[in-house]
Amino acid sequence: MRVIVAGVGYRNLRDHSVGVVVADRLLEHTWDNDVVVEDLSYNPIAVVQRLEDEPPERRFTRAVVVAAVERGDRPPGAVSAYRWDGTLPDDDEVQRAVTEAVTGVIALDNTLVVTRHFGGLPDEVVVIEVEPAVQEFGEDFSEPVARVIDHVCELAITMATDTSAMARLPRCGLGGLPMATGHSLA
Amino acid sequence: MCFKNLPIEFDAQGKPFLRAGVANPYGPTEATPRGAPAQLTAERIEELLKRNGYIKDLDFDPVTRVAGALAFHTVADFQGRKVLEARSMATLFRGYEVIMIGRDPRDAIFITSRACGVCGGVHSVTSAMAIEMAIGCVPPPLGVLIRNIALALEFLYDHPLHLHLLAGPDYSAAMVGPTNPSLLERARRSEAPHAEVHGFRTMGELMDDLNPLSGKLYLEALQMTRVAREAYVLICGKYPHPQTIVPGGMSSTINLTVMNEMFTRLAQFFDYSKKLAGIWDDLTEFFYEANPAYKQVGARRANLIDSGIFDHHEAYDATYAGAAAWGERRWATPGVIMDGQLVTTDLHALNIGVEEFVEHSYYEEWTGDGQRQHFPTDPVGNPLSPYHPWNKVTKPRPQGQSWKEKYTWDTAPRWDRQAMEAGAYARLWNTAVAQKLPANPFIESTGTSLKLRLPQGALPELELEWKVPAVWNAFERNRARAYCTGFTALVALNNWLAAMDRLKLGDTRTSTPFEIPKRGEQRGVGFWGAGRGYLTHHLTLDRGAVANYQILTPSTWNASPTDRWRQPGPYEEAVLNTPLLEETDDPAKFKGIDILRAIRSFDPCMPCTTHIHSDAGVITREVNTCACGVDDEGG
Repeated sequence: MRVIVAGVGYRNLRDHSVGVVVADRLLEHTWDNDVVVEDLSYNPIAVVQRLEDEPPERRFTRAVVVAAVERGDRPPGAVSAYRWDGTLPDDDEVQRAVTEAVTGVIALDNTLVVTRHFGGLPDEVVVIEVEPAVQEFGEDFSEPVARVIDHVCELAITMATDTSAMARLPRCGLGGLPMATGHSLA
Repeated sequence: MCFKNLPIEFDAQGKPFLRAGVANPYGPTEATPRGAPAQLTAERIEELLKRNGYIKDLDFDPVTRVAGALAFHTVADFQGRKVLEARSMATLFRGYEVIMIGRDPRDAIFITSRACGVCGGVHSVTSAMAIEMAIGCVPPPLGVLIRNIALALEFLYDHPLHLHLLAGPDYSAAMVGPTNPSLLERARRSEAPHAEVHGFRTMGELMDDLNPLSGKLYLEALQMTRVAREAYVLICGKYPHPQTIVPGGMSSTINLTVMNEMFTRLAQFFDYSKKLAGIWDDLTEFFYEANPAYKQVGARRANLIDSGIFDHHEAYDATYAGAAAWGERRWATPGVIMDGQLVTTDLHALNIGVEEFVEHSYYEEWTGDGQRQHFPTDPVGNPLSPYHPWNKVTKPRPQGQSWKEKYTWDTAPRWDRQAMEAGAYARLWNTAVAQKLPANPFIESTGTSLKLRLPQGALPELELEWKVPAVWNAFERNRARAYCTGFTALVALNNWLAAMDRLKLGDTRTSTPFEIPKRGEQRGVGFWGAGRGYLTHHLTLDRGAVANYQILTPSTWNASPTDRWRQPGPYEEAVLNTPLLEETDDPAKFKGIDILRAIRSFDPCMPCTTHIHSDAGVITREVNTCACGVDDEGG
């Protein structure tokens, strides 16, 4: 089994930098040979091409993707983790996602939709989302997000290395389930 | 004399001066755009809407996530099958000019790159050139050559993306079938003339493979963007925001390994260019033959402007005084085409004719009472308008939307007070007509065409010829873009060969050291181009910091609103001239494909979703509009 742990986001965009900061931190973690940590904060078409570059016998079988996503239905700093069921929107929406991908938009949903559509993603995808509080230039997180960063890193490590823990996560569509339903792991 | 509206004349030595006796030479009434079309008044449109049930509003309202947005308002006459009013709206302000104020000018290379997620490198280079001019720093020949190659590679990412991901689906079976079923039937019966080059036996097969997401041409374009990107990062480190562009050249290390790896990727575009030209020739001629009215889709006056691009490494001296000379030695000649005729290739004349107006834009005027015109002339004493970018001050003023008042974040740039269009095609047109190309074995400028000799690959060597078109419309924009892929690949090849010659001489120097002056005032301008055409950055430095920064992008020109003389911007004019050829009489089923073809042919580059609002509801569709333009007031 090979696992890729990936961050998606923008640098220097405060809470929206969660993905890249977590990826940076996890690069310092001691992993066994089957886990790769990368910052996938770039054109999702290029992400597809990067994932497809793995030789068939070395293709990733699990992806753990970390990002800040504003869903609006959970408090700032809320952490949601779920196994993405891989359901894609209709073709018009996929086409829009591709258009945004090639013209420079970097966003978790876009990355997942485009990489799934073109077959770059492994079947098993764990998504770890953090609800951001602010979107503005800067290196530091807001207080609610700063408080959960260590936890998000630990969660990503668990999901990359502990299959039984991963299996206990709910399987759902993009966005996961709101914290009120008991699936928040913060 | 190239100016017909501004009171600028030229002396016996060719030096421009303001005509004597004109009290207010840049006033709105002293110089009006003669012969330009005019929008109907808002009152007239309201009256037509009230009196005629077959005249309806069609609002194309996009949603965008990051890069900015374009919305489009039209009033259409479904009985007459025509558009009566067209309004182009940039709905997002990003304000790079404002962000730049007070910063170290070197920041501009990295900050302005973020104006666009496709063509960041063009902003970086344009910015570096503006700084070079301001501080007097000349890149070494190899630096110029590598910069040219890098940007050509960026365009080789951009052109396929426009042709087969953004504009191409408009001509796909998936789009033509529902909007013009008889046309698709005809396509299935029509042989494709260039089948031996592109491999599609019929036009129907070709249209099938233009289908989004699944068509072979769509998927191939995605792959080709990778090829270009890989070559680009060899010298720029990163895409789309390069890390190696500096004032005075490039910070890349160039050696034979890099050159060879780059070439293996560049060479893949020789065959691909042949294929693209065949595809878009066949599509264009098929539509024209099926219904000559397609020649009116996106049609407008052939008023084109291009700042030129790809400097000759032995000519570029980074000075404003020398710009007229080094500009004309570029691989893509700068120039202005007015009503189909080339009126100048002189970068000085091009620069002094530019003005920006904000009557219908969410900005405050900066030329009011008590405002001193900062620069009455350019650095060599030629007259400048108070509306010129070097004199412009960006003063955002958000407010409600009104067709009579303000409705967009884009400004209205004009050259000699005329609405001008920017695009890769302007680059081809100027270069074809001007006959000023550097001597080379691959590209020939004939005065009426450009001949492109593409080397053998899997396909045999092939000479393409792009001819100046007799009509100017959406199809010709796309066809020219296809030919521009071959042109760009051959510019890169010429520069690659010249760079190899420099390396053989032992010359590996790619940049010149520089210092930012800490005293006095300096100004510069970067004349360059994006994949989709004209790009300038006008810069003023004061004691080492940016005092003013103005970006004019292709989409600033193309998406511009109607001006103070009721002259529509290029998108608006093109849509006003577009017949509604969709095979439906029911406004509720109307998808607006011809209007969208007109808009998309300009390659507006911000990713947008356009909702066409009809009385029956909202139809969601896509249009791609240019972030690197409309909202930097772009951006």
